[in-house]
Amino acid sequence: MISLIRELAGAYGPSGREEEIRNLIEQKISSKVDEIYTDTLGNLIAVKKGSENGKRIMLAAHMDEIGLVASYIDDKGFIRVSNIGGINPYVAIGQRVQFQNGITGCVCYEENITDFKDLKLDRMYIDIGANSREITSECVMPGDIAVFCGETIEQNTRFISKALDDRIGCAILIKLIEQMGDCPNEVIFVFTVQEEVGLRGAGPAAFDIKPDIAVAVDVTGTGDTPECKPLAIELGKGPTVMIKDSRTISHPIVKNALIECAEKNNIPYQLEVMSVGGNDAGTIHTAAGGIPAGAVSIPCRYLHRPCEMVDKNDALNAVKLLDAFIKMP
Amino acid sequence: MNTDTLVKQLCDLNAPAGCENLSAEKLKSFFEPLCDKAYVDPFFNVIGYKKGTSKNPKKIIITAHFDQIGMIVSGFEKGGFLRISNLGGIDTKALLASEVIVHGREEVFGVIGAKPPHLLKEDETKKNVKMTGLFIDTGFPDDILKQKVSIGDPVTMLAPVVTLKNGCIAGKSLDNRTGVAALVLILKELQNMKHPNDIYVIATVQEETGLLGAITSSYSLEPDLAVVIDVCHGDMPEADRSQCFPLNKGIPVAIGPAFHSEYTDALFEVAKRERIPTQRCIEPGNPGTEAWAIQVSRFGIPTVEACIPLRYMHTTAELVSLKDIEAVATLVARYVSEDIIKTTEETF
Repeated sequence: MISLIRELAGAYGPSGREEEIRNLIEQKISSKVDEIYTDTLGNLIAVKKGSENGKRIMLAAHMDEIGLVASYIDDKGFIRVSNIGGINPYVAIGQRVQFQNGITGCVCYEENITDFKDLKLDRMYIDIGANSREITSECVMPGDIAVFCGETIEQNTRFISKALDDRIGCAILIKLIEQMGDCPNEVIFVFTVQEEVGLRGAGPAAFDIKPDIAVAVDVTGTGDTPECKPLAIELGKGPTVMIKDSRTISHPIVKNALIECAEKNNIPYQLEVMSVGGNDAGTIHTAAGGIPAGAVSIPCRYLHRPCEMVDKNDALNAVKLLDAFIKMP
Repeated sequence: MNTDTLVKQLCDLNAPAGCENLSAEKLKSFFEPLCDKAYVDPFFNVIGYKKGTSKNPKKIIITAHFDQIGMIVSGFEKGGFLRISNLGGIDTKALLASEVIVHGREEVFGVIGAKPPHLLKEDETKKNVKMTGLFIDTGFPDDILKQKVSIGDPVTMLAPVVTLKNGCIAGKSLDNRTGVAALVLILKELQNMKHPNDIYVIATVQEETGLLGAITSSYSLEPDLAVVIDVCHGDMPEADRSQCFPLNKGIPVAIGPAFHSEYTDALFEVAKRERIPTQRCIEPGNPGTEAWAIQVSRFGIPTVEACIPLRYMHTTAELVSLKDIEAVATLVARYVSEDIIKTTEETF
């Protein structure tokens, strides 16, 4: 699984610039599905037809990752930035970032900041080693987006990488497509765009597809690191079945079916009650008069940092859980 | 059944946001005898349909949300304590030392603990109360508690509605069971009235957590006009007068960009003709009610709103006047029974 995750997490794809990651996923799955297309907003939609007159189930994982967009290039060639998705300025300090064309830069802050409470992205910049606006402008234009660098490694059954949010979800759906075989229900796999900037892709995709039920596959925070806020979710204790997050209260039909699948098949799982954050279920469940929706999440430490960390077994168990779920009568 | 009893029975229903399935069927039984068809939709919105007399009836929906703010179990702490997270906008200060019911495999009584003043450190007395610092004490030991309760179980406040003097009542969930009571009273009034248009009363879900019921039901029913009934702030000492409305002094009708100006004018006209006093409730932007979602459903739906003044919103001491509930019901019943829908060719 590590090679698949390395490939997916390494692919460039901030919100609104998902072409590269989409092409990669399409190339991996196109021969294994009955139908595949890209919709107006750029969501990649792959259909596996059902063997009987079953339900239509939508599974969604977002392809996009967070990034920094170049907003202005100054006389000395430094690039001022704005955030694409949730970027914490403290986390960005000293990070290497890379633009789509491979140009690498360092994220630094104005030296005269004495109180770090004043640190905001508008007092930070990307340095690509150029010493004039002209030289920078040859390779970076305002509007170009850089993403964190952070290679993928596997250690002690854990994956550590940039962009595991939500390339781990993409990997899980790809694995599921590969191994699911025949299924009574039609399953529509949707690799969505622009989740990080407000769950923008999933809603229109759900409106178009109008599935009977939907499950978002994403990452969620944990409560198992030193001095963190209390949260009953740990790495390695199984994927979570979402009860609620800040955008969605899971529909009982979906939530109960997922729990039943986990219990019946002895798949470890955790229950997720979050007061912050949201995932694609948030816009799927309000689409087209409402679609019963829920989510399966992979516990992930250090979210939105270049060292996101998930447990391999949680991912493998998520594949099992979703496999059982899509085959429910 | 008088209004007092009706409101009390409705407030007894447990329907914290996202857990309305606990009470949807019971609520349906309030609508059933008063309409042509009553049903619960896939999201647990409770809908009562009354057929109009016109050959080509238009469709009017009247919404009032029936979810209540509440809590949800988010974790266990050693010693028989439960961690909680909020469902909807809860003022954590108002939770301290409350009595609650945890809706687990069985109903479990509990109290929300609060550190006594003697043990508070000086800086703690100045700090806001955080949800992550609150817990429910059920008295059960850990192992037995885990058999009865699991993460994700809803929690409701225990605070029965009591009758006060001068036609007032106070208690929990009056936001917005008073609106739901108005729906029942509207259906009652419509029994004796002819109305050309099809009328759907909808007790909606998950208003407190993001207007879900309004979004789904207004899309599904595709109405020509929507009337929202919700509570607004009642007047109280030391509060901003422009946002608070006196009890028993008329029905606050919402005015602002979220509300269709011509249909709102028509609502004021009906009130004037029927001698029902009104107040003008100015909402310059997002009113925080279902109107905000319904207005932009599909191709846009003309939406108006009538309110019930309620003091101490989102606490267990919410207070309203029964007369206001009856007045809003009479006003909206008269309004929706008129031949009010204009086609695009017609003008007001």
